[in-house]
Amino acid sequence: MDELEFRKRVYANPRDLDGEVLEAARANPDYQKIVDETLAFEDSLIPLIESAETPEGLMAQLLSIPETAASVGSNVSAIRAKKQSFFQYYAVAASLVLAVGIVFSLSVNSGPSSADIVFGNELLAHLYHDIEEIDDITNGETYETLDLDEVNFSMAVAGTRLVSYDDAQEFDVRSAKPCEILPAYQSAHLVLEGSHGAVSVIVINNSPVDVKFSFRDDRFNGIVVPMEQGNMILVGEKNEDLNQYASMFSENVEWVI
Amino acid sequence: MSEIPVLEGNTKKQRYESLVAALYQDVFRYAFWICKSKPMAEDLVQETFLRAWRSLESLQSDRAAKAWLFTILRRENARQYERYRPELVDIDGQSIAESDSNEPDSKMDRELLHNAINRLESEYREPLLLQVIGGFSGKEIAEILELNNNTVMTRLFRARGKLKAEFGLSTETDEES
Repeated sequence: MDELEFRKRVYANPRDLDGEVLEAARANPDYQKIVDETLAFEDSLIPLIESAETPEGLMAQLLSIPETAASVGSNVSAIRAKKQSFFQYYAVAASLVLAVGIVFSLSVNSGPSSADIVFGNELLAHLYHDIEEIDDITNGETYETLDLDEVNFSMAVAGTRLVSYDDAQEFDVRSAKPCEILPAYQSAHLVLEGSHGAVSVIVINNSPVDVKFSFRDDRFNGIVVPMEQGNMILVGEKNEDLNQYASMFSENVEWVI
Repeated sequence: MSEIPVLEGNTKKQRYESLVAALYQDVFRYAFWICKSKPMAEDLVQETFLRAWRSLESLQSDRAAKAWLFTILRRENARQYERYRPELVDIDGQSIAESDSNEPDSKMDRELLHNAINRLESEYREPLLLQVIGGFSGKEIAEILELNNNTVMTRLFRARGKLKAEFGLSTETDEES
């Protein structure tokens, strides 16, 4: 056994050396030195890694999870929100730095989780990425109205389709395209002409959030609506009533994934 | 890995409680080192056990419990935090207990080793943590990380090689197979 192979086998699992390695070490003082040094190093490494102190009260918190889960149902986000976790504070601070002025409010009693807040930031960032198109629609400079097939061509990327377009025709769909809110989530982004400008309807074939919540900044307001197999997000100008669009799309979106 | 009686009890709640009692410390340590932050690790552990509670019926044996929890934790960590989190390093003396007879030669060495572990790329740090904290074999680590066994053993070799190199005890060699 050459030295490289010997080192590989010793380093890979110093606490469980096989007979061949031990025999080679006995036969070669240099190899024995490698073993001795490695085991001495392990005597420092292992206690250090294992010495992370478990927080006081953590076990009690974990044992209370069945009761907590029972009190809020199976909604993970709601349970997370109850914990007032570090991440909430961290994410709130981050959101204040990264997106000054964004305000969240929930349609349930608990606050948004850190993941929800981050997700809200992602949504607004996505919207501002497409701001020229949104401004064009808001300013009446885009006149094209898409038909159902064109809308569903983009919706298919998110594993959804509109089963009826009758209601949607009350609001002209000016744009429909696949998009990526986050790389992991396939989404479709429709832009309607609403009562007070462009209204974005984004459908995601995954569920980053489990509870409905709203968010806004200086210009836009938005809501995230959990659906059967994903989320629907609506964002419009801050004086836009989004509930009418949420209701219409909730009733007409069919998941095909 | 030795078998731990983690699923004792007749009811789901009793089985869950035995699971927590047997494994929460190891799960926390693992979370702590992959998060590099005590509060974040605590949150991650709670999320992990919440998901474990919700799907406890899918856990069929004591032997699989720790790997099952570690896998949940890894996925939860990836799902929730890795994408958004800046690199945080607050593993410091406040988070690590002072050890006794096994303490390295000096506090400086201990801190150096500590920082060296943190600087390891996750591909090397993770199998090392799974081996030291989880007590998993190479094959078990390979299953958890969805790698082949040779790759795991090579990464373990390189993880220790990198750590030892920082202390002048070795030089990094070999390419990953």
